[in-house]
Amino acid sequence: MFAHGVASGDPYPDSVLLWTRVTPSAEATPGSGLGPAVTVNWEVATDPAFSRVVSKGSAKTGPERDHTVKVIAGRLEPGTPYWYRFSVGRAVSGAGRTRTAPATGAPVDHLRFGVVSCTNYQAGYFSSYRHLAERGDLDAVLHLGDYLYEYAPGEYQARDVVVRPHDPTVEMTTLAHYRRRHGQYKTDPDLQALHLAAPFIVTWDDHEAANDAWSGGAENHTEGAEGLWSERRAAANQAYAEWMPVRYEPGGPLFRRLDFGALASLSMLDLRSYRSQQAANGVDPAVDSPERTITGAAQMDWLLGNLTSGGPQWKLVGNPVMIAPVRIPSTLSLAEVAGVQKLMGGTTIDGVPYNVDQWDGYEADRSRVVRHLRDQGIKDTVFLTGDIHSGWACDLPADPLTYPTTGDSVAAELVCTSVTSDNLDDILNAPPRTSSLAVEAAIRTANPHVKYLDFDSHGYSVLDVTPAGVRMDWYVLADRTVQASAATLATSFTVGAGTGKAVPATGGVL
Amino acid sequence: MNPDRRQFLRLAGAGSAAVVLSAAPGSSWASQATNPGSARTRTYVLVIDGCRPDEITPGLTPRLAALRAEGTNFPAARSLPVMETIPNHVMMMTGVRPDRSGVPANSVFDPAEGAVRDMDRSTDLRFPTLLERLGTSGLTTASVLSKKYLYGIFGTRASYRWEPSPLLPLTGHAPDAATMDALLAIVSGPDPDFTFTNLGDVDRLGHSDLTGTTLQAARNTALADTDLQVGRFVDHLVGTGKWDSSVLMVLADHSMDWSLPSNVISIDLILQGRPDLQNSVTPAQNGGADLLYWTGPSDQKAAGLESVRSLVQSHPGVLSVHDPAELRLGVEAGDMVVFCRAGWRFSDPYVVSNPIPGNHGHPATEPIPFFISGGSPKVARGRTSSEPARTVDVAPTIGALYGLEAPRGGYDGVARTSGFVP
Repeated sequence: MFAHGVASGDPYPDSVLLWTRVTPSAEATPGSGLGPAVTVNWEVATDPAFSRVVSKGSAKTGPERDHTVKVIAGRLEPGTPYWYRFSVGRAVSGAGRTRTAPATGAPVDHLRFGVVSCTNYQAGYFSSYRHLAERGDLDAVLHLGDYLYEYAPGEYQARDVVVRPHDPTVEMTTLAHYRRRHGQYKTDPDLQALHLAAPFIVTWDDHEAANDAWSGGAENHTEGAEGLWSERRAAANQAYAEWMPVRYEPGGPLFRRLDFGALASLSMLDLRSYRSQQAANGVDPAVDSPERTITGAAQMDWLLGNLTSGGPQWKLVGNPVMIAPVRIPSTLSLAEVAGVQKLMGGTTIDGVPYNVDQWDGYEADRSRVVRHLRDQGIKDTVFLTGDIHSGWACDLPADPLTYPTTGDSVAAELVCTSVTSDNLDDILNAPPRTSSLAVEAAIRTANPHVKYLDFDSHGYSVLDVTPAGVRMDWYVLADRTVQASAATLATSFTVGAGTGKAVPATGGVL
Repeated sequence: MNPDRRQFLRLAGAGSAAVVLSAAPGSSWASQATNPGSARTRTYVLVIDGCRPDEITPGLTPRLAALRAEGTNFPAARSLPVMETIPNHVMMMTGVRPDRSGVPANSVFDPAEGAVRDMDRSTDLRFPTLLERLGTSGLTTASVLSKKYLYGIFGTRASYRWEPSPLLPLTGHAPDAATMDALLAIVSGPDPDFTFTNLGDVDRLGHSDLTGTTLQAARNTALADTDLQVGRFVDHLVGTGKWDSSVLMVLADHSMDWSLPSNVISIDLILQGRPDLQNSVTPAQNGGADLLYWTGPSDQKAAGLESVRSLVQSHPGVLSVHDPAELRLGVEAGDMVVFCRAGWRFSDPYVVSNPIPGNHGHPATEPIPFFISGGSPKVARGRTSSEPARTVDVAPTIGALYGLEAPRGGYDGVARTSGFVP
């Protein structure tokens, strides 16, 4: 009955979203549109034995929503662990563990988040999810996008190896495809384990719909041959709303803010739905046109409104694509440049912003954010980023021209690497930590605000937040293509309160 | 108070110069027993004028950094409008916002005098301060303020006060070495329960630092020197056995921002195309903030101010325009408050009128250091708090330490008692 597991998400101080999917009959497979309507019961307890149930209810589902269930469990206490489960008749789901956010404005000493992105099923196993699930100490897991990929088997995998083929065996373009692909991902045992262990806070990047998506299309969308973009995106969004533990319904905004007492706010961005089409390349005058946007006007106003003084101390931003400027040095070989270009999905030209798909391609919007932080003297903003299949720790310079002298930074950016998706050594077809080292060194030299860069590793991050600082630990997998892969701590960086700067961490947790 | 009835005392300073204090009639010059025994708590508010929170580092300011690490730090602390010296010192000592204290800025247009002037008169401040309120509770207080205008506005409110000397030409402030001589003399002599000290060098050298946008050479020298003076103070408390009963509250009144010579906003120039407005608006400059006063015909005021707002707002260096009431500034702040962006400054009537590269007053200069430290067992150690501390929180925090009742109408600030052991 509960073949796709259970999940929770978007914790508020008094409620949390619960999710599951039921299979009431053999034909009710994901995307089939078949199977009967069902009433699903849910309950929330303060203990794993469910001896003290504090909230319960029921919800109807059926083929019209692919037999997924999303409910808000309310009347909960802030900052409290809970267990939840679903039942249909005598069938009972596994018990998930979740946790409400601390009370609004309450002092909070410590938060710990798992941070992941870029989980391509075809490129390997989700060992990162398993390692995070086994920790048992996470307040929530942030998924910064590319939770699933649209490609058909053979189109995008681990170098040349399809570790696990996608289902359906075509690029997903229709509602049935998107539902079925979500269903496949939700059968992964490591993914199920992590959803069971902690609430998720998610946003999408492009691959939940199609590569390099923008408001009117996508690089990996052929208008006509693959239908209308508006219809394809609507299908992707509907399946996402059905299958993800997120307070999002089609037609509404995905960008939203969650607060964790006086310690932190978390603004989750949607950088695909409202953005202008990517510029042709880094020297296209469109790059800094004030008419183009990556956020859309309403989301920008909302974001700047969240980046203010007086509210929670840390302003965390769940940011699907990098905001720190990155210039590619002219010393790289053609092969290296091509590798970076392929990794970043952008057009590379020496000495200019190289990735027109990230904030580098939307300079006016980035300038709005940087100017706001600088003009208003906003401290303690940290961008948490995914997308580019590599680990980075960066300052966000107040002014790139004077940064090498002043070191003035308005915020820090911490980028988690991909759980499985290809990165530079895969693209260069070289062993890890060989060819990429020179590229990393050259990029860091050309970009002094980049403090850490690992172009090769796959894995996950753990983020600790305290009033004194934010710390990210990067864990790397031994081998993403091995189901039982171990993970080791690679490095740690901290952003001290009031500094806006990423520096190597020393000692234990803050 | 009639100045003639003040008492004066010449104390031996650490250097060759003597330290001259004044006191209210009847004040004792010896250490008081008003707060006696082991329960006595000495409290010192040290204002590092114009210091940015990120400038306190173990490398550049080791003594300040150590104090911050040992006590309770409030990294989300900020100055309040207008981010200038006088209003924020007044907020610290009153615990109320300018619409209740009467002191919204350093510089205001005084309609009675028909001129722009500094708020440096004791009568400008119309709300009771901690200095006299603690005094009426039987405690002794002192003010050791490096800037002449601060000495002016707080006047004779403290039990003991030092008149800043020697004053440096141009800056109108006493160097930190002299200010620290005075503080040490006061601690050694009358040994008050509460002392309010302003160290002005970091601000003064920041204003004039022509390398402010890059190297900040003069500024960094001042920071290192001020840190030495703070170290002298701590060493003195330790050496005289007072450290274990001392609470230090260290903060800044505002921070500092540096502008390029090309980034100058002249209200006069903006209004040049509208002589009717130009002749009807008087700006009071406060670094990165301008207070605008309508001094033209009253029947044209509403429409005139609307036009001024529209013209001023369109300047690329202007960040925002506010009704003074939005910022709780009171009638003294005039009709309109204009803030500049980071890296800009106001200069009137000509763009060369304000040549000072370092400025404050605008929102970019709100973040400040703010921490509670000291040797007293009351200090919570090694903590960092997310609380949004503000300059206006100083009076309620110190008041809470001494069990002082809130003033009539209550505080606008919050007692940051998380800096103390419960």
